[in-house]
Amino acid sequence: MSGSMDAIAPLGASSLTPLNFESRVPDAAVADAAASGTFASTLTDAVENLQELQSTSNELAVKAVTGDLQDIHQATIAATRASLTLDLVVAVRDRSVAAFNEIMRMQA
Amino acid sequence: MTFDAIGIAGTGLNVHRKWLDALSDNIANINTAAPAGEEAFRERLVTVQAGTQSPGVYVAGVVESEAEARLVYDPEHPYADEEGYVRYPDVDLGDQMSMLILAQRGYEANAAVVDRAKTAYEAALQIGRG
Repeated sequence: MSGSMDAIAPLGASSLTPLNFESRVPDAAVADAAASGTFASTLTDAVENLQELQSTSNELAVKAVTGDLQDIHQATIAATRASLTLDLVVAVRDRSVAAFNEIMRMQA
Repeated sequence: MTFDAIGIAGTGLNVHRKWLDALSDNIANINTAAPAGEEAFRERLVTVQAGTQSPGVYVAGVVESEAEARLVYDPEHPYADEEGYVRYPDVDLGDQMSMLILAQRGYEANAAVVDRAKTAYEAALQIGRG
C-alpha cells in the first residue's frame, strides 16, 4: 500500500494533461488513451457497444417476425441487454451533464 | 462480455431448450414401430458439459441410447417379423415426462436468473440518483 502511494507522488501535475475531452489527439495518444481508459474513450466504447447490441437485437426481432428465429430467448436476451446498456449509457450521460452544469454554475 | 450473468443464463437456456427438443423427439416417436429388418428409433440423450474457456454450460452432443427395441407380439401388424413380433422404441414415457419437468424447470430457472440479473443491474443504475 505504501509503495503505491510513493509511486504516485513523483508524477505531479503533468499526469493530468491526458484528461482532454475536446482537442484532437495524435493516433499514438489515442492508443494510449484507449489503453489507460480515459473518460472520453470509455464513453465512446460504451456507445459503440450499445449500437452493436441494438443492431443485434433488431436483427433478431426481424428473424422473430419472419420465422427464422431458432431460440425465443436469444431475441429476448438481446433486447434485455440492449435496453440495460441504453439505461447505463443514459445514466452516465446524465451524470456527466450534471457535473458539467455544476462546473458552469461556479462563481468566479 | 457486458452483463455476463445474463449471458451465462443464456447458455443454460440454450441447453435446456435443446433438451426439450430431444425429449419432444423421444415422445413423438414413442409409438413408432420399425419395419421388419430395420432398426427401431433410439432414445436421444443430450450430453452437456461446463464451459472451459468461458463460463456457462454447453451441449457436448446428442447420443443415442444403447437400449435395443422393445418387442411386442402382434402378428397382424404389417411390420411384424416371421415370429409375429413388432419392434417399438425402448422409450419409457414416465422417464420422458419426468425429464420433461426437469427440462422445463431448468429453463424457467435460467429465465428467472436473466430477470433477477436485470433487476440487480437496474438497482445499480439507481445508486446515487435519489
